[in-house]
Amino acid sequence: MRFGNLNKIFILLFLILFFCNCKQGTNQKESSNYNNFVTSNKNIAGAQKVKKLFYNVPSPLEMASILSKAGVVYKPELLNKPENKSKYLTISQLALNFGVYGADLSFARLMDKVQEAIKYLSIIRKISDDLGIPQDQGEYTINRLEENIENRDSVLQIISDTYYSTDSYLKNNERADAAAMIVLGGWIEAIYIATNVIDEKNPDKDILNCIAEQKFSLNNLIDLINEYKTNKDLNKLAPLLLNLKTIYDKIEIKYSNNEVINDKQNKTTTIKSKEQIIVTIEQIKEIKKITTNIRKIIIQ
Amino acid sequence: MKINVCINYFLIFCFTLLFINNSYSQCKNFAKNSCLSNLKPFIFNGQLNNAILCEGDVAELSLTFIGNQSYRIFVCYQEPLKNVEFTLLDNDNNPIFSNKENNYINYWDFVSTSTQQLTVEVKVPKEKSINDMTQTGCVSILVGFLK
Repeated sequence: MRFGNLNKIFILLFLILFFCNCKQGTNQKESSNYNNFVTSNKNIAGAQKVKKLFYNVPSPLEMASILSKAGVVYKPELLNKPENKSKYLTISQLALNFGVYGADLSFARLMDKVQEAIKYLSIIRKISDDLGIPQDQGEYTINRLEENIENRDSVLQIISDTYYSTDSYLKNNERADAAAMIVLGGWIEAIYIATNVIDEKNPDKDILNCIAEQKFSLNNLIDLINEYKTNKDLNKLAPLLLNLKTIYDKIEIKYSNNEVINDKQNKTTTIKSKEQIIVTIEQIKEIKKITTNIRKIIIQ
Repeated sequence: MKINVCINYFLIFCFTLLFINNSYSQCKNFAKNSCLSNLKPFIFNGQLNNAILCEGDVAELSLTFIGNQSYRIFVCYQEPLKNVEFTLLDNDNNPIFSNKENNYINYWDFVSTSTQQLTVEVKVPKEKSINDMTQTGCVSILVGFLK
């Protein structure tokens, strides 16, 4: 009889362990120590519950690309000074400024400021070491960056690899909150640059729209940051981002003439629509004020 | 005899633990080893969206497409998962694209003439398996952009 019970215990343990990672429709919130996901009760078309949610925000590289396409001019005095690096000691300071300097590096290189880019590259290398990212993950890509700094296309690919290696390493080592901080730092730096370059008396429409369109990215950024409520440094910045959101919520973006064109041969879908952005220079000034404040906290 | 049975059960228990731990470890490097190269010439946005999903599970990725910039969505997954579906939804949850209508191809390129908030919904279908076991595997959603 005793042995029969032991049988049942083993079978039960076996079944629990085998199926425990396949629970569906759970109401519990899983800890976000592996990738930036949460378990949610969100319904899709009233049918299935979403098990994992991810939020992507334009990376520092993509933000720099957006700025350069919008015609933002390069003003080195706006970028974070390299000598500020010595102030960054905690993981949070390092991660946030990895994002900031990453945006500066990407922007400098996209604007063909090679010497500036090399300067920011050395800062990124030092921060990478300070964050404890192993040399085989960080060093290799940074060495490749040095060797290819003159070749713009190679540099962009290598910067992308660097971000991925860093993001991947941090998430795989229970530091997904630090990975989120990198994204936050880079995004804030890009908005700061754009709002400080725009001529408030005669604003360039492309730059104005570029700033306004970040309304969507901000929402994703806030959702991303909200997953790390135990991080006190992110908790300090969260209310400031919500403050920024109150301004962005007033910016209207309307769409008309929506059309979806599928090209099966080229495996491409074009989403056509006419966008109307209603934004005032006063709103941009407010965004500039709040962003400058957030950036000041990050880089001080 | 009874001791042998105990040992057998113990070994099964240990192998199961090993299997589960191995699944998580494999997922960690899955995107890098098996998927990233498929994004080229698009530049990876650098953000890891990996998860272990079972049949019937749904994952969502919320992102912004900047106007007039080309993107590639690549959904990479491990065997024994099959025919993983992905759908691109607009801000009102209207489907823009589904790979179910395109032979379950695991990537597609997009360009939007205006900046839009979109969602990539990934669903692992329930397949009939011989031994009726729920299949599980790593799923990675990768996003690349063209500069």
